[in-house]
Amino acid sequence: MSEPLLEARGLAARRGGRELLRGVDLELRAGEVVAILGPNGAGKSTLLAALAGLLPAAAGSVERRARVATALQGSALADRSARANVEAALRWWGVPRAERRGRADAALAALGAGHLAARRAIELSGGEARRVHLARALALEAGVLLLDEPFAGLDAPARADLLEDAGAALAHPERAVAVVLHDRAEAWALADRVLVLLDGRPAAAGATREVLERPPAPEVAGFLGFTGRLELPGGVRMLRPSHVVLDPAGDVVATVVRRIPAEEGFRLELELPGGRLQAPAPLDAPGPGEVVRLRLAGGVEFPLI
Amino acid sequence: MEFLWDGLQQAVELLLSGDDEVLGIIGVTLRMAFWSTLIALALGLPLGLALGLGRFRGRGAGLALANAGMGLPPVIVGLVVALLLFRGAPLGGTGLLYTLDGVILAQAVLSLPVVVALTAAAVQSLPDGLLDQARAFGASRGAVALLALREARVGVFAATIAAVGSAFAEVGAVVLVGGNIDGQTQTLASAVLVRVSAGEYGRAIALGIVLLGLVLVLAAVLTVLQQRRPRTALGRPS
Repeated sequence: MSEPLLEARGLAARRGGRELLRGVDLELRAGEVVAILGPNGAGKSTLLAALAGLLPAAAGSVERRARVATALQGSALADRSARANVEAALRWWGVPRAERRGRADAALAALGAGHLAARRAIELSGGEARRVHLARALALEAGVLLLDEPFAGLDAPARADLLEDAGAALAHPERAVAVVLHDRAEAWALADRVLVLLDGRPAAAGATREVLERPPAPEVAGFLGFTGRLELPGGVRMLRPSHVVLDPAGDVVATVVRRIPAEEGFRLELELPGGRLQAPAPLDAPGPGEVVRLRLAGGVEFPLI
Repeated sequence: MEFLWDGLQQAVELLLSGDDEVLGIIGVTLRMAFWSTLIALALGLPLGLALGLGRFRGRGAGLALANAGMGLPPVIVGLVVALLLFRGAPLGGTGLLYTLDGVILAQAVLSLPVVVALTAAAVQSLPDGLLDQARAFGASRGAVALLALREARVGVFAATIAAVGSAFAEVGAVVLVGGNIDGQTQTLASAVLVRVSAGEYGRAIALGIVLLGLVLVLAAVLTVLQQRRPRTALGRPS
């Protein structure tokens, strides 16, 4: 296996006198995309800043064996054309003038933003500005690319489009990418590995599918969408709404506590002996107080420690 | 009100005849405004950038000083500069007292805090993340400063307009340091003062009209430069 392009050991970081991150071990290797997941305030952006060297490590170490480029949260484009913004980033990066135009246009095209090259930043929509922002990070051709929530604030169609283009553009055999994400679906779409941060500590790390399907601890499962919890003898079973199926022939009986409007109907919150579950339901779903029958199809079990 | 009407008539005649004295005073005023503003910009822009962007001890005090400096009474500045330029004073050897260069120096002292304070405020109001992102892409300190200056150009132009306007309007420091010498250190504003004292209202009004015209033309040019970018009525498209 190749040597990591970036390696953090026991990394801790502080901001405003408060320790926001501790005990992070992370290796980024060429050709892989690592997603950093966590709820608000978990320390994701702090980790990225510390990996980039924008924030000094309060403890531990970060070894960088390649040049690191960081695209911070928010597009932060200057008041000039999209192409000029990319070219400015290339100038700061030390790219000779003669190469800048070609690299800028190629990066914009890779992100599906070639037609925006002459457009001024102020005239770009949020999604377009994100594309240009990502393009200028890509154009640098850094060995390590760190991206902080590149899809935040976009509506669903714009996010889906950008995810698709970014997925193709980020994959590169000589580049390591770490991307801070808020949404596990984005991690699923983009990343080979994930690191889950909870309260400033690494709570899970591993291959994306493995972590998303079989989170190692109940608190990680809760963050990753396993919103249902059932107490079992000697343990706990956690389930995603998709694991809970309303079925008149089901062998589990539960009472509807409330109906939460969802995209295609409702998400029912259900109470049953030993816990609470959530289940997707159609528009004519039973209301609070009604009794329903369920079938449980999946979930993860954790022994009580 | 009759004297005002007479004055206006005299003013029009003076302006139309291309009076040498008036042209000379305009020349002195423009030179003084140009050089004093240039000096204030040369010193004030780096200082304003440092105070606006820097993270160092004493930055707050520097900003407070610059802000206070905008309210400096010109007569006091003129007095201090004149005292420093007197023979035997620390700057007496420069021979700048009662010269146009001395007036330029005094006016630069008055314009400097305006440029520093307005530049610092302009770069401080830049959107969050703009400069941090430039640093994250490897921008040097100088490149970040240039980016800040470019992005804050509306505010920087406002600082320049304020400095030029202050130079055109200045009387107290000009008279104290320059001596208001006809043809040498007399500017339009100080010339108006002298003419009014001498009861030459026509010439005073003529000079006043020229002064106002200059202020308007220069402010218009700088404003056009300042506002030279597309405006969107509804903000960023969604």
